[in-house]
Amino acid sequence: MQKFKLALATVFVALGATGGAMAAECGTDRKIDIAEMNWPSAAALAHIHATILEEGYGCNVELVAGDSVPTSASMLSKGRPAIAPELWIGTVQDQWKKGLEEGAVKDAGLAISDGAVEGWWIPAYVAAENPGLKRVEDLPEYAELFADPDDPDQGRFYSCPPGWGCEIANAALFEAYDLEESFNLFSPGSGGNLDASIVRAFEREEPIVFYYWGPTAIMGKYDMVQLEMPEHDPEIWACNVESSCEDKGKSAFPTPPVTVGTAAWLAEEAPVVFDYLSEVALNNVQISKMLNWGAENKAGAEETAEHFLKTEEDVWTQWVPADVAEKVKAAL
Amino acid sequence: MFEFFFSGEFPEFINTRPLRFWVDDGLNWVVRNWGGAFEDAAYPLLVMLNSIEDGLLMVPWWLIILAFAALAYGATRSKALPIIVVVGLVFMGLMELWEDSVETMALMISATVTAIVFSIPLGIVMARSEIVQRIVTPILDLMQTMPSFVYLIPTVMIFGPGKIPALLATIVYAAPPLVRLTNLGIRQVEPSVMEAAQAFGASPRQRLFGVQIPLALPTILAGVNQTTMMALAMVVIASMIGAGGLGYQVLQGIGRLEVSRGVFAGLGIVVLAIIFDRITQAYGKQLQEQIGLAGDRS
Repeated sequence: MQKFKLALATVFVALGATGGAMAAECGTDRKIDIAEMNWPSAAALAHIHATILEEGYGCNVELVAGDSVPTSASMLSKGRPAIAPELWIGTVQDQWKKGLEEGAVKDAGLAISDGAVEGWWIPAYVAAENPGLKRVEDLPEYAELFADPDDPDQGRFYSCPPGWGCEIANAALFEAYDLEESFNLFSPGSGGNLDASIVRAFEREEPIVFYYWGPTAIMGKYDMVQLEMPEHDPEIWACNVESSCEDKGKSAFPTPPVTVGTAAWLAEEAPVVFDYLSEVALNNVQISKMLNWGAENKAGAEETAEHFLKTEEDVWTQWVPADVAEKVKAAL
Repeated sequence: MFEFFFSGEFPEFINTRPLRFWVDDGLNWVVRNWGGAFEDAAYPLLVMLNSIEDGLLMVPWWLIILAFAALAYGATRSKALPIIVVVGLVFMGLMELWEDSVETMALMISATVTAIVFSIPLGIVMARSEIVQRIVTPILDLMQTMPSFVYLIPTVMIFGPGKIPALLATIVYAAPPLVRLTNLGIRQVEPSVMEAAQAFGASPRQRLFGVQIPLALPTILAGVNQTTMMALAMVVIASMIGAGGLGYQVLQGIGRLEVSRGVFAGLGIVVLAIIFDRITQAYGKQLQEQIGLAGDRS
């Protein structure tokens, strides 16, 4: 009897030990849900982090679909998803700042080390043919060049789909530059439509003026020129991104920090994961390279992530301790 | 050795990547070389859509409400439907959705009109030829089951962004029931009636226009009703590629997490659906009764 008890105790101790070891690696056995945003760079990053956290740290990981506004709103109110791997702070500025102060969310670190580009663009071939078109102020004179097929007297500016933070900012700039008289603010309805419109224009060498951002595959693939705007002014911008604010002004887009956003509980319960996320910054060149490979090989986010992990070991092994790196490599 | 045979995963026999390259490069080639031609070819559709929209926006709002109420009364000969129509349309006006609903109506009407122009003749040909029926039926099945997101983006690339691809996608989705029901309606005409017509010496053309089409009309109208409803069902998806109107309001509601905007615009779509559904159904019923009476007399 005594022996049996002892045996049982040993089993429990052993179980406890292994359980403890597992928890120590990841820190939590709560499910860590990562938002797979609906644009390629963020989706690929989501898959990269999911693979490393799952294989390297033994975490319980799940990918969930996401988009800037709904995902950040849900993180702020519910603490889920736990990780937004590429969060454009600029688009959700006020709420996110409030959430940081209240302690509902945390920024683990930068996702894109040298920041992102946002702006209004024209194709390089249009810029070459129209040397007078350099600034946004010049647009009204060229309205005819960018004629809107639905309304040929006006030009057409391709803005953002509803729900993207840039939609409000573009409308504000449109107003500040008095473009209503010569241009229509065209809402593409979806990111896919914006991309398709841009690809069509570039493939046919047609003029187009549009909002876009980088790092993206499209920005890497096509040669485009940014229209000049006055230097970024945080005060004007604060009004421009607030739809109820009346006094819109001219100001370039901020170079917004693009961070890895996490729910606050992750930093408390799984500091190892949080530390990992503070190391994962990539620069524009690295991301564009990854996306270009994906676009040229028709690879989805998962495949792109796998390719990155296989070919860019020098980059990502620096994010993790050596033993974790070995485990991830073994799983690939 | 037979690992691939027992594996749970389907083995990779061929590399599909070249095929995918071929499809995507093919599309780019079409866009580069034929994009302009396609856009020009679809231009009349755009003109129709824009003129319907402008026309509806030029008419005073109360006149449109009255016209729909009169149509409703003409169809049902009762007060209930006209009251619903007036209340529904006034609701849309009060919710500041008038222009959006007119835009949506214009899209729906143009899609329906285009669908009628192509579908009814096709349905008639299908009813008269087994071969055509056998070829067209699977195409219609494909049009109705293929998820519309698949062809939305290629349509944008080929026809250019804006209202044209939205209208075309709506037509693709909404036309099949009309083709099917026209075919069915004509095939359902009693053989004895056709024999009688033949006995009276009616030519094939007379038989078609004098007997088959009139007798099939209630079924064809049911098809038109279906088409309008399916066109309405597409408005939110169509707004993802540049159609405005109520669908775009719903999309904005989703994107910006403004539940109120989505709900009101959604209710607006419901109002449009009720109005068009009830009016076309009531006319169909009237027609059926008339034909029924004619049948009794003979």
